[in-house]
Amino acid sequence: MELLKKNPFRDKFNSKKEAIDYFVRTFFMISAIISSSFIIIIVVFIAKEGIKPFITDNNGIGSVNLFSFITGKVWLEGTAFLSNLYGVGFIIINTLYISFFALLISMPIGVLTALFIAKIAPKKIAEFLRTVVELLAAIPSIVYGLFGSGIILVFVYNFAKIFGIQSKGGNSVLATVLVLALMILPTITALSEVAIRSVRSEIEHGSLALGATKTQTNFKIVLLSAKSGIFTAAILGVGRALGEATAVSLVAGNARSGPSFGFFETTSTLTSTMLQGLKETVGIDYDIRFSVGLVLMVVILLTNLMLNFAKKRVGNINVK
Amino acid sequence: MKKIWLIVVVAIILVGLTACNSTEETWDSSSNITVYTRDTSSGTRAGFMSGIGFNEAKEDDSLLVNGFVIKDNTGILTSMEIDEYGIGFISLASLNNTVKGLNYEGVEPTIANVINNTYGLKRPFNYVIRSLDDFENETEKGITLAFIAFLGTTDGLDIIMNKGAIPLDSTQTWDDIKNEYAVCNQDNSNTTIKIGGSDSIEKIALALTEAFAPKCGDFIPEHDHTGSSDGFKRTQGSEKDSDNYKHIGFASRPFKDSEQGSVDTQGQLAWDAIVVIVHLSNQLNNVSAEELKKIYNGEFLIWNDVLD
Repeated sequence: MELLKKNPFRDKFNSKKEAIDYFVRTFFMISAIISSSFIIIIVVFIAKEGIKPFITDNNGIGSVNLFSFITGKVWLEGTAFLSNLYGVGFIIINTLYISFFALLISMPIGVLTALFIAKIAPKKIAEFLRTVVELLAAIPSIVYGLFGSGIILVFVYNFAKIFGIQSKGGNSVLATVLVLALMILPTITALSEVAIRSVRSEIEHGSLALGATKTQTNFKIVLLSAKSGIFTAAILGVGRALGEATAVSLVAGNARSGPSFGFFETTSTLTSTMLQGLKETVGIDYDIRFSVGLVLMVVILLTNLMLNFAKKRVGNINVK
Repeated sequence: MKKIWLIVVVAIILVGLTACNSTEETWDSSSNITVYTRDTSSGTRAGFMSGIGFNEAKEDDSLLVNGFVIKDNTGILTSMEIDEYGIGFISLASLNNTVKGLNYEGVEPTIANVINNTYGLKRPFNYVIRSLDDFENETEKGITLAFIAFLGTTDGLDIIMNKGAIPLDSTQTWDDIKNEYAVCNQDNSNTTIKIGGSDSIEKIALALTEAFAPKCGDFIPEHDHTGSSDGFKRTQGSEKDSDNYKHIGFASRPFKDSEQGSVDTQGQLAWDAIVVIVHLSNQLNNVSAEELKKIYNGEFLIWNDVLD
């Protein structure tokens, strides 16, 4: 008995079960710390490289001016490796512009598909469609890119011709918007569907009991109740649109100045700019891509904060 | 009501289909030229720009005509199948009959014309190995030197040629010189030779090591092609002692002044020709360096400027 009392282990825990409980809790906490610390490691790494062009003199080229970098209308004035006149202002605008239109296209389609799957389709069809959507979400971006450069570019090129516009081989804002809309569609559909399914059936029954038709109920009650979840879908969709690199760089045309508002003009996004020539470049031209990465993270953060704010304003009605 | 919907749907489908099939129009020479280029870090771009006498634009996008499109090798090739009014450049090895390869200064872009040195638009494929006193052991050094010797034999030449590049001349076979490389007679199956540098040369380098390893004691070639700049950097430059170090590096451009290594470690294995391509329906057949420069710097904006 004496011996057991001196054991600190025994002191702390009254029973074996409590000890196990404690260890499991600690284990979970460590997992959580590891997974969340990665975001810090990544941010620190990107920031470390990305700040370099602004604070060092880049081997005699001179440091990049932060203000002209953020507001610049030309990616690089002068010769690569010899110039510090980088600018991403127009690319930020391009990125937001493209993501906005991509969302504008895929939001209605995605939400209506979700509504169909969750409320209207017979069970078997719904099951099938759900699988299709999940498959679409799992397709890697390079495949969307190949589809884009093989099919969408041709379509956009010929589509522009109808209006008498000579597009640059289809490489354009429109092609990028279409590819991105396709890519974020499954994300939006899947998340909206979950949101719609979790609307409490009491509200629905209430609506039907009051004499509203099925369609009226679906649009005025179900969608309205699920709007918070649908907003979450939009937030994640925008996140994917802002962050997509491979597919975009295959159809955007990678314009080096801008911003491009015309639907048939070539464009570029933050990610496609980072990707171009990344594997072959060195020095400031390499480091500056990390700076673009930093800008991208800030843009995503701000966009998400704004959408989250809007989501709060929209509110939440009676969802399980 | 249902009928109206049906008509609307059919109309939309018809418009969609005609949109896809309207390429059969005649080629209009008063259309704008759409300029395609590789990005500033590409070796092909450096080769092309210096070839047409537009050296300043090698690494400077702001000198190019407004509204140019940046794509990679395959991207330019596939774009030229779609874009009737585009012009771009790719490496000769990638040329196929889905696009039109233009004559350069009156010379047809063929392998024969590159070998007899009449075709002007080309770039060298170079190799660089570690400094001779910087190998971990004699076996690695021996295999590396034997491999470089193999590049200059007729056996190596055939492989380079098969992969679309144009090798330099040689009369020796590997059998003629293999006695000079005793290392190849021993079992090298646990020696790894790391090869990197230009990704334009990756296909060729893979084929070369695949053929050469059995001839040299089955050493293990490890390929990691990341770009011309890494060719020198990882053999004799700043990364030569890092985890990314290489025994042999390739560069698809002349070595820069900052990339001059120690004696007897660098050389050329082949030429790569660059070919200017346009859409099959384009009326242009020949292009000169001067015309290309004017197209790329924006002096020529429509196809009539070039054709006149």
